[in-house]
Amino acid sequence: MVPILFFIAAFGAIGGAVGVVMLKNPFFSVLALVGHLFSLAVLFLLLYAEFLAAAQLIVYAGAVMVLYVFVVSYVGGADEPLDDGGGAPRALAPIFGGALLAVLAVAIGASGLKALDSEGAELPAGFGEPAQIGDLLLTRFLLPFEIASFLLTVAAVGAVILARRRRGLEPIADETPTDEGSS
Amino acid sequence: MTAAALNVLGAATSPPIEYETLLPFLVLAGGAVLTLIVSMFPGRFVQRALTPIVATSGLLASLVLFAIQLNEPPELLLSGSLRIDDLAVVFSLLIITAALVATVLAWRGSTVREAGSGEFYALLLSAVLGMTLLVASQNLVTLFLALELFSIPLYVLCGADLRRNRSLESGVKYLIIGSLGSVTLLYGLAFVFGATGSTGYAEIGKAIATGNLADDALLLVGVGLTLVGVAFKASIAPFHQWTPDVYEGAPTPITAFMSVATKAATFGLLLRLTGEAFLPLYHDWAPLLAVLAAVTILVGNLGALGQESLKRMLAYSGVAQAGYLLIGVVVGTALGARATVFYLLVYLLMNVGPFAVIISRERAGLGDGLTGMRNLGREAPVMAWSMTISMITLAGLPITAGFVGKLFLIESAIDGRYAWLAVVLVLGSALSLAYYLRVVAAMWMRPVAKRTGRPGRVAAVAGAATEGGAGRFPELVAIAVLAALASIVIGVWPQPLLDLATDAAEAFFSLSN
Repeated sequence: MVPILFFIAAFGAIGGAVGVVMLKNPFFSVLALVGHLFSLAVLFLLLYAEFLAAAQLIVYAGAVMVLYVFVVSYVGGADEPLDDGGGAPRALAPIFGGALLAVLAVAIGASGLKALDSEGAELPAGFGEPAQIGDLLLTRFLLPFEIASFLLTVAAVGAVILARRRRGLEPIADETPTDEGSS
Repeated sequence: MTAAALNVLGAATSPPIEYETLLPFLVLAGGAVLTLIVSMFPGRFVQRALTPIVATSGLLASLVLFAIQLNEPPELLLSGSLRIDDLAVVFSLLIITAALVATVLAWRGSTVREAGSGEFYALLLSAVLGMTLLVASQNLVTLFLALELFSIPLYVLCGADLRRNRSLESGVKYLIIGSLGSVTLLYGLAFVFGATGSTGYAEIGKAIATGNLADDALLLVGVGLTLVGVAFKASIAPFHQWTPDVYEGAPTPITAFMSVATKAATFGLLLRLTGEAFLPLYHDWAPLLAVLAAVTILVGNLGALGQESLKRMLAYSGVAQAGYLLIGVVVGTALGARATVFYLLVYLLMNVGPFAVIISRERAGLGDGLTGMRNLGREAPVMAWSMTISMITLAGLPITAGFVGKLFLIESAIDGRYAWLAVVLVLGSALSLAYYLRVVAAMWMRPVAKRTGRPGRVAAVAGAATEGGAGRFPELVAIAVLAALASIVIGVWPQPLLDLATDAAEAFFSLSN
């Protein structure tokens, strides 16, 4: 059961990722991303990370993707296929992508596959449960947890600054000079 | 998941929180929040005076609190998330000083008004908090979050001049390329964690040394991707392409802050990573970084040669300086770390002066071009002298701080058997004279009457500059003059800064050796 589920989810994840890049219609790209994230959640489940799988579904496949779908439907774009820019990026992208793929394949092939025939590491009871993750976030990873909360506040402040442009800027008070001259 | 991590899972006791040592960080975070709250009150006084004062007080308080911790024994905080040693303290002092300079430079400019006073200073303080956390971070999770905490405010601050498309372009460009750098770094960190099974720098170093992982492909890929990610942030060639566009488009006070503080934060991180976590792999990454350093020095200096915009020129010069700084990292010794820290301290002194001069020219409506510098020698001799000294320091001529800094780098390169890098450094410095002296020439040479064209317009603009340029903004003059004076004083008597750099390097290398 587990190997079958693994291969379904693994091919789903790879297929979804390929679909995001290859599909011309942004709406289908978003749907492919949903499929990719859902497959990842299944993989997390197979790794006994139940909490992570649930969070992945709720946050990414749920909230973030709904946001993407909204953006695509509001901004449109379904009738204009995405343009990949062409030119030098188009010619160079496969070279760099291929090089990175080769390096990663060597790295994973050389050491990542050692555990293929084993049962994996021993897991203690309750591994990956919300309670244990909560414990970790408030003990060993207290500082990262707090930084993350502060980071969200800062990001909100930044969004407010940038959103101000949409509301329309106030006229320049002429007694103060600008930081950028006539150039 | 390691055994160590799993043990913690069982024992869910709350860790001790060392509030006293954490105080400077808490003051920065509190200062950012307080700045936001204060700026909510309406009124010109609050926006123009009170908000900057609150932000500056926060920075000053944090500066003092960090300075008190200088020369204290190293301390691990919050279950090993942070390590407050002299390296962290010296870098934090440097970053906070750069932020203080940036607040003064931005004080009466348009960016603060455009972005909103409270938001601008709050983001600046958050960026400082992220950087100080980064240089003190002791495990990969803290590292990444601290990196994001300083990157995200900077993306917004680069685009904060909402009326100017160049600024928005700069913000978007920095966001995209910066995110690419972050993702590369994160990918690398994941590989490092996968190979070593731990997130703490010390544990990673131990795992590599004892676990016979030196040939582990997974680990090497992780280290490579991590270093590339940091190189993006530190604008080391060939990952520097964003630097000129972002530096040129960003509001000038932010450019001044970024050029010094981002460099300090990323090099602090680089010293910690290479000196502690990746030290057992020295023979793998050192030749790689040595090549990067040489390429960076050449690319930066060649790129700066033909630039008409001073901000672009300083961006390329910043790339070249990143190459010089990398030499101290490559040699991997206490001597190298000291040279890098000393050069960063000097870099603060020599780099903020030119930005103060550029801002005064921009506010006079002359832009940041080389043409805007014409006549500066006659209109504002004090500014022109400061700029001249800063340029000579950046080029590294004798009796200036830049010369001493380069001398220490060369010393460390030869001591670390990378003499060819010292040769590249000297060649690069010789090349750099060409573009630094071009600025000096533009300021002091009498413009040829024919070539200026439109003589009436030039005269009118020049007249406006005399009254409205430097004279109206004494704080810009003060910064330019102080920076120039400090460059000379440190050039003649480098001992105080050298002591700081020695403390920083020793606090750190006593641990790894």
